[in-house]
Amino acid sequence: MTQGKLISAWFGGVLLIAGAIGILESGAADVFLEATRPDFQKISLGVVGIQNTGGPDWLGGRIEEVLKKDVKRSLVFDLVDLPSLGIKAPDIGNGMGAGSKVVFKQAVEKGVSVLVWGKASQKEADKEADVNMEGFVYDSGSDEVVGGKRYAGSPSVVRLMAHRFADELVFRYTGEPGIARTKIAYVSEQGTARELFVMDYDGYDARQLTADGFLNLMPRWSPDRRFLIFTAYRNRNTQDIDMIELATGKRWTVISLGGLNITPALSPDGNFLAFASSYEGNSELYRLDTRTKTIQRLTVNPSGDLSPSWSPNGRELVFVSDRGGGPQLFLMGSDGSNVRRLTFEGDYNAAPVWSPRGNWIAYVCRTRKEYKLCVISPDGQKRMQLTTGPGVDDSPSWSPDGRHLVFSSTADGKSHIYMINADGKDIERLTFEGAHNSAPSWSPAS
Amino acid sequence: MKKTLCIYGLTLIASMAVIGMPGCAKKSVQSGGDSQSIQGKAKGGSSGGSGNSGSLGSSGNSADSGSSDGSRSGVGSFPDTGVQSGGGGLRGLDKNPSEERVGGGTMLAKVDPSGSAGRQMDEISAEQAASSVAGLRDVLFGYDSWTISEDGRQALNRDADWMKSNLSAQVKVEGHCDERGTSAYNLVLGEKRAKAVRNYLVELGIGANRLSVVSYGKERPFCEEHAESCYQQNRRGHLVVKTGK
Repeated sequence: MTQGKLISAWFGGVLLIAGAIGILESGAADVFLEATRPDFQKISLGVVGIQNTGGPDWLGGRIEEVLKKDVKRSLVFDLVDLPSLGIKAPDIGNGMGAGSKVVFKQAVEKGVSVLVWGKASQKEADKEADVNMEGFVYDSGSDEVVGGKRYAGSPSVVRLMAHRFADELVFRYTGEPGIARTKIAYVSEQGTARELFVMDYDGYDARQLTADGFLNLMPRWSPDRRFLIFTAYRNRNTQDIDMIELATGKRWTVISLGGLNITPALSPDGNFLAFASSYEGNSELYRLDTRTKTIQRLTVNPSGDLSPSWSPNGRELVFVSDRGGGPQLFLMGSDGSNVRRLTFEGDYNAAPVWSPRGNWIAYVCRTRKEYKLCVISPDGQKRMQLTTGPGVDDSPSWSPDGRHLVFSSTADGKSHIYMINADGKDIERLTFEGAHNSAPSWSPAS
Repeated sequence: MKKTLCIYGLTLIASMAVIGMPGCAKKSVQSGGDSQSIQGKAKGGSSGGSGNSGSLGSSGNSADSGSSDGSRSGVGSFPDTGVQSGGGGLRGLDKNPSEERVGGGTMLAKVDPSGSAGRQMDEISAEQAASSVAGLRDVLFGYDSWTISEDGRQALNRDADWMKSNLSAQVKVEGHCDERGTSAYNLVLGEKRAKAVRNYLVELGIGANRLSVVSYGKERPFCEEHAESCYQQNRRGHLVVKTGK
């Protein structure tokens, strides 16, 4: 198969899935997609191994482990287990030797489209010395080693090297930047305070960003990944919307109108900030032009309006309003025009987030007294419940490739952060430490 | 300056339209965004950046009264946050790859413990002490509800009596929620509860200027068990005697 074929096969798969969801959902209002998903054509990929050619024992194995998980999570590749196919590869070096030809032939026979391998080393016994990694890619379509990568960096970036290589693989076969180097911002309880943290998309390398000793809530990323915008209680009596620059830690207040100022969301082009504020009485939605600093009020009614999320083209907002009693999702133009209700099922639907591809809106739905994740199409025609079981699920946020969601849940007792595929499969817990982790927000792709 | 940038942006959009590829709609939006962010950047040179953070902090404090008539002074500076470039720094596979340096480990600054945490702790202790001396009673609410019950009214009658005999006291009403429901909606629900308490106290003759409201949603629970007995404790209008500002 050529690369072109692989890509078209993959897109075909996506269409297949979309079609299947449509069929299932038109039949019944609340079908839970579990085992009924058709296999869509992922690209089969085998990781031969990352040889350790010097340095600490864990080095090659660590990179291999991270790389394999990234490949699997990409949902672009089907990670095959080579030994179970009878493919036992020795060191195949740069893939030019006779031994490698045998391995490639085996892979082709077993239907493996892509083989990946590499080596890693650390220059000296010095723990701080540079780590070097090389990765190679064999493509069965062109029957050759199509290329590779060479990385160098401090030992602290070993996981990042694997992430970067995984993203190169996704980039080669889809043209997308991949999600392995994305990050997740979230809120973690520290004593009685709640502070902002950022971790890698796989739950590693958590870093604390604020230390106010009180509440910082519900962070969202700026489109360029450089800032977080969030709800802050600088003192305990008033509450504002703040921004923080990740690289410098510099922080300042952007909205301090009085009352509640919550759920900020920057438009995809960064030119507008939608947010909810109660400074004129009850919680209403406003839109700030970030260049002229003019504020436009978008909603006018005596109920609570909050949680705006932008459509990917910036023309529409989905938001929550309890104008009908309980909270429900509504849509409107980003100038406040053409308001219409989106959800009618259940008496509690909240925390909507528009998918980066535009075709779904994820939100928290209450069913049988449990707070779970649902998705609905913006035309209201298709709806699915993604999670089931006990526990309060909250704050869904899409991966930039639209294939995953991250959310918080008390399913295991304490509130922790979880990742789930957009079709409700493969729940993965990301946080294990701390008493309370919540409000995750997935960064844009770099 | 601004005009030329606008023209540049329009040309960008126009050129996209001329290219007219399938799926172009999305792309032209993207390029519009880019051209606008160029504008933002040009402006940001004078108004963005570090110089503003100080003045913003002070404007935040001026909104302390809680219901100040929202003047635009409550809006701080905005950096250009538009996406600068695509590609994600990926260079593609190469048959003879040159070495790429994988950068500094993290893009995150170290957290600066500003001493704020210690100050908060002291102030919270002082408030708790003053409130406990005053013996103020809290109001508990029903599920999804911000209606004050008969028990709640009795508690507030006593609280109002205390406020009438302690005329200098300022009271803050905190709205709290149980863990069920979303963080965001619970902040709105908590504010409704706090305002319901404040409004009832005003009905009883307490001056509105002696009362402030704040919502903590489900973020500062009194207990953390997943059981109705705990949920009930967290659906609360909590009255606190203000000690500082």
